[in-house]
Parts: sequence; C-alpha cells; structure tokens
Amino acid sequence: MIRFEKVTKAYPGQARSALEQVSVDVEKGEFVFLVGASGSGKSTFLRLILREYRPSSGRVYVAGKEINRLAGWKVPRLRRQIGTVFQDFRLLQNKTVTENVAFALQVIGKPKAQVESLVPETLEMVGLEGKGDRLPDELSGGEQQRVAIARAFVNRPMILIADEPTGNLDPNTSVGIMKLLDRINRTGTTVLMATHDAGIVDQMRKRVIELEDGHVVRDQARGIYGYQN
Amino acid sequence: MQLRYVLSELRQGLRRNLSMHLAVILTLFVSLTLVGLGLLLNSQAQRAEEHWGSQLQITVFLCNETATSPNCTGEVTPAQKDAIINVVQENPEVADFHTESKKEAFEKTKELFSEEYFARLPTSPSSMKESVWIELENAERYQGIRSAVEGLDGVSNVRDQRAVLKPIYAAIDALKFGAIGIAAFLIFAALLLVANTIRLAAFARRREIGIMRLVGASSLYISLPFLLEALVTALVGVVLAGGALAAFMYFGVAEGMQGQINFMPWIGLPEYLAALGAVALLGPLLTIFPTLVLTRKYLKV
Repeated sequence: MIRFEKVTKAYPGQARSALEQVSVDVEKGEFVFLVGASGSGKSTFLRLILREYRPSSGRVYVAGKEINRLAGWKVPRLRRQIGTVFQDFRLLQNKTVTENVAFALQVIGKPKAQVESLVPETLEMVGLEGKGDRLPDELSGGEQQRVAIARAFVNRPMILIADEPTGNLDPNTSVGIMKLLDRINRTGTTVLMATHDAGIVDQMRKRVIELEDGHVVRDQARGIYGYQN
Repeated sequence: MQLRYVLSELRQGLRRNLSMHLAVILTLFVSLTLVGLGLLLNSQAQRAEEHWGSQLQITVFLCNETATSPNCTGEVTPAQKDAIINVVQENPEVADFHTESKKEAFEKTKELFSEEYFARLPTSPSSMKESVWIELENAERYQGIRSAVEGLDGVSNVRDQRAVLKPIYAAIDALKFGAIGIAAFLIFAALLLVANTIRLAAFARRREIGIMRLVGASSLYISLPFLLEALVTALVGVVLAGGALAAFMYFGVAEGMQGQINFMPWIGLPEYLAALGAVALLGPLLTIFPTLVLTRKYLKV
C-alpha cells in the first residue's frame, strides 16, 4: 500500500537530509506507529506520502502509484484515497460538526444524496451521534479529534495518516481515540500514525518504525515505543 | 450542491473583502474609461483623417462655374484636368494621389450636418469642386508640387492640409496619449490591487484551502471562487466604464461638440460599440490573468 525505496529527502539550504535512504513497505490493512524524536523525519515521511513534497532521490509508491511521477493534476485524486488527522484537529470553527465532515465530501464533488447518507453514518461510527449541530468550540478536545477523524474517514480512504493525533489530549481521551483508530483499521484501512506517546504504542503492540536523524533504526512487528521497557 | 457551494463562497468572498473589491472596481472603472476614451479619440482622429486627409496631404481644387480664381475660365475642361494630373503624376514629391468627384465632395459635406440643416443650405453636387488629393512623400517637402500646380489652368486653389490640421491632430493626439498614459498607470495599480485582494482572500481562507487540498479538492475547484470574484469585479468595472463612455458620447459628442464644431465628422454608435467591446475584453483579462497566476502560487496543490 505504501512503499519507500531508498528514499532521500533533502530540503534546500539544509546540510543534513530529513530522510536518508529510507526503505519501508507497509501492506494494505496494516497499523503502523512511526516513532522518533522531533526532527527525526516523521513529518517528512508523512508528507511524502501525501505528495506535499517529492523525494530528492528514491521512489515512493502510494496505492500502487509512483508519486514522483504523478502529474500535478492527479495529486487531488491521490489525496482522496488518503485521510489525514492532525494534532491540532484543523476544524473549521464557523461550521458545525456535520458541516465540517460534509465539507470534505462537498469539495470533491460528491452528490448531495451521498453526503447526506455518509455524514451521519460516519458521525455515528466515531461516537458523535446527536452532536452534529454543535460548533467545534462547544466540544471537548477528544470530541473535536473525533470530528477530525470522521472528516478524514468519511470518504472511506484506503490509508489513514495520523500525525500525533493524541498529542493534545489527556491519556483517557487518548485511549478512546486509539480505539477508534483501531476500529477504522479493522475495516481494512491502512493506518499510519506518528506519535510520541509511549504508553499508547506499548499498549497497542502494533508494528513500530523508528526514525532517527532521517534513518530507519528499527522496524519491529508488535513493537514497543523504546528499546527498554 | 457544487454550484450552491461555489455561489455561497462567492457571496462570502465578495462581502468579506468588500473594501478591497471596491478599490479594484473603482480603479478598473477609471482605467477602463480612460482606455475607452483613448480608443474613441483614436477613431475620432481616423474619422477626421478620412474626411480631411492626413497631414501629409495637400488638396488641389479644380475650377467650377462659380470659381473666381484667375486661372479659372469656367468649369475645368477634361484637357486641363489631364494636364494637371500629368503634372502631379510626374512630380517626385508626390507619393500617391486620388481624385474626388463633385458627387463625392457633396456626400462628404452632407455628412457633416444634420439633415434638416443641410436641406436649407444652397448646396448641390454641381456647386462643389472636383479635387485632386495628393499624398506627399515628406510633409516638409511640399513647395515644389504646390508651385507646380498652382499656376496651371483649371486649378482654383490649393489647400495645404498641414497648416489646418496640425493643431487639430496634435490636440487629439495629446488627449489620446494622455488618456492612454494615465490608463497605463491605473492598470498597473489595478493589477496590484487584484494581487493584494487575492493575497488577503487566500490568507482569510487558508484553513478552508488547506483542508480542501488535504481531502483532494481539485485546483480548479479551489480557485473557482477567486476566479468568479475576479470576474464579478471586472464586470462591474466594465459596466461602469461603459456608462461613463456612453455619457461622454452623449453629453460630450452628440449634445456637445457636434453642435458647435461641424467642420469635421464626429464618432457615433459604431465607434462607441467598438471601444466598449475592447473595454469589455480588457476588464476581465486584467483581473482574471493575475488571479490565475496568483492562485497557482498561493493555492498550489
């Protein structure tokens, strides 16, 4: 589903590459944690998948497409197959929960009938039934993140990318979010989550890829956050 | 659903940035009006030239029955006419020439006046003079041909266009270049204003745009509200400029100068429509072109 072949990404004006000869293979339906210190290359890794950048060398394949070669106008089509969730939720404050989730479908031209059936169904799945008319600032952090997950998942993407989704949440709320991501993973969606949260990684026992200074230093099935625990 | 989204975005965008849009509209309005004026003055100069000839011309009027010149002994004879044309043909100062019949001269005069006024004039084709219109190689070299034809039998008088037309054409040219020069500065200002408007709008909508990009909205979809805003402001500017030009045509030309200055033909509806067409093309171009360039820059996928 996601494949990095000897990928190096250097930013102009920076001496050290953000990623250096990274080769990784993620199968369809996998749940993968991406761990590592700040600046280790996690964000670059995720952004390469979204084709926000092209690699400096090497190849990145996402959903069967080599993204280096993907023409600019085809990028939106690629992104429709990828849902993305961030630490800071990124909800539109002037839109209600329903409108925020519907927005993701409307702007890619989904017909009204489809929007009207998919949005409530997805809100129910993330546990926000009955809260569709609220505005984001009337919700708790955990609920806001659920809205963001609903928005990322409403188009039923093949891949869900989560960049520190629990970074702003307390441990209890985080557990709820992780259960939700796990549920989404069980529908067959590949989930890739960058995190600093050792507790969560240790608890979930999923595949762990650790980056350090742009290199993959560990790729472990059913791993934990650190070497020692 | 899509159309409704685009329209509501358009309405919101126009309202959110109202003062900037007004600035764009006003600048466009004034600059398009000036461009239109420049075009109208240009057609006025052309019309004057069609009637009067260019500065490079001198006109040789031939005798008619009522001519009082000493060279005239009544209507010019075909032999005299041939001799005159021969002299003109041979002269090295002449670039080109054509003759104008009495009937053509009559039609030209008729054009200058309103029909009722013209009907009261004691003019008929037979009272007009035949003429030879000579195009000079060089406006400064006219003495040779002038003296060559002036004394010939059958020549009533020679009109040197340069003296008559120079100040008129100079005035029209000055107005034309003035209008277009000022318009150029204003167009530059309009382009900058459009650019700033887009920058502000893109900034105000950066969250929406970020999410649209993330969920895979196409570039066209993202930039459509911006393009529509550009189109709407351009259309308002064009309509205002069209109105101002119409007012100029009505109050300035039809009701104003045409009544007072009737020695040359004035521009009318066809010239106005041509200028309006040019302005209607230029206006949207001026807003849509920078919008396309800048949305590519700011809204890059």
